[in-house]
Amino acid sequence: MSSSSNSSSSEPAGRSAVRRVALVGNPNVGKSVLFNALTGAYVTVSNYPGTSVEVSRGNTIIEGEAWQVIDTPGMYSIHTITEEERVAREILLHETPDVVVHVLDARNLERMLAMTVQLIEAELPVILVVNIMDEAERMGLKIDLELLQKRLGIPVIGAATARNRGVDAIRAAIAGYERKGEAGKHFPYSRLLEHDINEIAGMMTGDYILSRRSLAMLLLQQDEELIEIVRHREGDGYPVLAELAREISFKRRGSFHLNLSLERNEIAKDLLNGVFVAPDKRVVTWAERLSNWSVKPLTGIPMLLIVLYFGLYKFVGEFGAGTVVDLLEKQFFVEIVNPWVVGLVRNIVPWEIVQELIVGEYGIITLGIRYAVGIILPIVATFFIFFSFLEDTGYFPRLALLVDRAFKYFGLTGRAVIPMVLGFGCDTMATMVTRTLETVRERVIATVLLALAIPCSAQLGVIIALLSKSPGSLAVWSMCLLLIFIAVGLLAARVLPGEAPMFYMELPPMRLPQFSNVLTKTYTRMQWYFLEILPLFVLASVLLWLGKVTGFFEKAIDTMTPVMALLGLPREAAVAFIFGFFRRDYGAAGLYDLQTKGLMDARQLTVAAVTLTLFIPCVAQFLVMKNERGWKVAAGIGLFVSLLAFGSGYLLNQLLLVTGLLA
Amino acid sequence: MICGFCGHTFDENVARQGCGGCHGGCHSVHCPRCNYKNPLETALVKKLRRIFKKNDADKGDAE
Repeated sequence: MSSSSNSSSSEPAGRSAVRRVALVGNPNVGKSVLFNALTGAYVTVSNYPGTSVEVSRGNTIIEGEAWQVIDTPGMYSIHTITEEERVAREILLHETPDVVVHVLDARNLERMLAMTVQLIEAELPVILVVNIMDEAERMGLKIDLELLQKRLGIPVIGAATARNRGVDAIRAAIAGYERKGEAGKHFPYSRLLEHDINEIAGMMTGDYILSRRSLAMLLLQQDEELIEIVRHREGDGYPVLAELAREISFKRRGSFHLNLSLERNEIAKDLLNGVFVAPDKRVVTWAERLSNWSVKPLTGIPMLLIVLYFGLYKFVGEFGAGTVVDLLEKQFFVEIVNPWVVGLVRNIVPWEIVQELIVGEYGIITLGIRYAVGIILPIVATFFIFFSFLEDTGYFPRLALLVDRAFKYFGLTGRAVIPMVLGFGCDTMATMVTRTLETVRERVIATVLLALAIPCSAQLGVIIALLSKSPGSLAVWSMCLLLIFIAVGLLAARVLPGEAPMFYMELPPMRLPQFSNVLTKTYTRMQWYFLEILPLFVLASVLLWLGKVTGFFEKAIDTMTPVMALLGLPREAAVAFIFGFFRRDYGAAGLYDLQTKGLMDARQLTVAAVTLTLFIPCVAQFLVMKNERGWKVAAGIGLFVSLLAFGSGYLLNQLLLVTGLLA
Repeated sequence: MICGFCGHTFDENVARQGCGGCHGGCHSVHCPRCNYKNPLETALVKKLRRIFKKNDADKGDAE
């Protein structure tokens, strides 16, 4: 067997007092989590020289010694294909890490162990971290790490880095790593392959980072970068070596790579014999069972309905928009805060017009702050708790798979679930997210559907709370929106012809949500949302006050009165529509006010809710539509949505009058 | 951070470099794999996490 040396293959980075540890492995095995656990906040991210691939580096102290930790891009093999893999190998070749930590997924041990074999063959200073042990154990898999360590001849550590398990052991292994003087473990291949490898390796005379045996394999796989390094190192001896490598490659008809991979997989299989024990009958966890049910239409649709019923209807609608709003808006603002502030302002401020601005009908405090804090805040808070809870369970990607087939009819794919789901939080942001869809056609269709039939969290909460008092109204509203969503989706797919792109994604495991995650995500979303709406609500109050003072607001209401009459709505309902154009949530709060004043019956409330949900997107969403799709498309969508909203409202009102439904 | 949609682990700082389209900041970062909009932790939450992490580290390995 050939010898190896610590000298560099090209120009090694200067060895400093700081030792280096490189984390390598397939993508998504927890390298970055381990990197963060090892380094904490002391991290720099930069492009690897000459590439667009980013590499994270961080410093840490392990057992009193300074270490630099390098998080390499994901790689599947030392024989590289992608730019990311090339960068990861460059780091191994040119930065001469003192320790290479190979992180792999315990659940896919057999598939990933082939790379460990390669790293050992290359005689790199390897520590193996068998990560995600918690999930593997939950699946009933048993892994004898001691036996594996014995067979591989390197330190092997079991870990679940996402849960901080095994991190101390990894630190200790890094600190205590000692490179063995003798050559690493030898994994024998078939006679024919061994003959080819030994023939090439035997002709090499230079010093390399990787073992000559490993280099011989890479040369026989026609690895361009390694060929250059060997050409440089072997000097005059290279032509003979290259000729022999070409001759062997020709003899094997290019099958060397395939044979080597197959045999290496067999070696990995043999290494795991007795190490990796899967239960006779695989333990199917509850999470897996739920995961399977959630993606199949027969079980997935009832599951979705259950989630919507308990999450949206009971929690956001009844609890958030009902109980909490009652407490905060009626009992706190209307009964305590508003009378006190009104009295105070009237005593202090002598000018009626200023009094009107602060505590009048559309006053900053009596309307703007009351809407923001008393009505919208509890609704979006409960919505974001529900949203973050679902997000943390891993349900959303399953929802994407569930609806993928149905979305194909609308010219979309399951990928469009991302903006649709986000739209229930805030349509403006969701419209921005449509840019991530693959084709322009998908982006336009998703923008139309968002503008039309996806109510934002506050609007949804208020509407559910208002209509839940009359379940018939809620059913009519839901059916109308669903039918319009389907009809417009089908129509849009016909008007904008083209193929829906393929959609595939790797499903992350379904899990019990972590309380701290749900709480922090909710808090973060709430903070962003509240800071955004509060100044807008105050501004809207000022504009409405200006409109009232100048008489413009009255004129706007007068202009809209015939439209309201066509919809069978009272004149005052125009206020909610004008509010709605400022912000969707502001409009919904306006509707809430009308209902509490007893100005509308169940039919009118349903017609108003349907029309307002479909109604033209708020100013912010309209501006984002213009930015994303351009003036023409945005104006077209705005016009189409407005006509459809009032048209649907008119037809619904006629239908309810004729049938006497909700009377 | 871990993407709330596809579970991809990515560096928050890297993902932030490719964003910045929202005026005033949207306090979110898009996953480089699936583009899902993940909320960025606020300074307060980060501080709290650091305190809890430190306490965990003081207690030693959970294994």
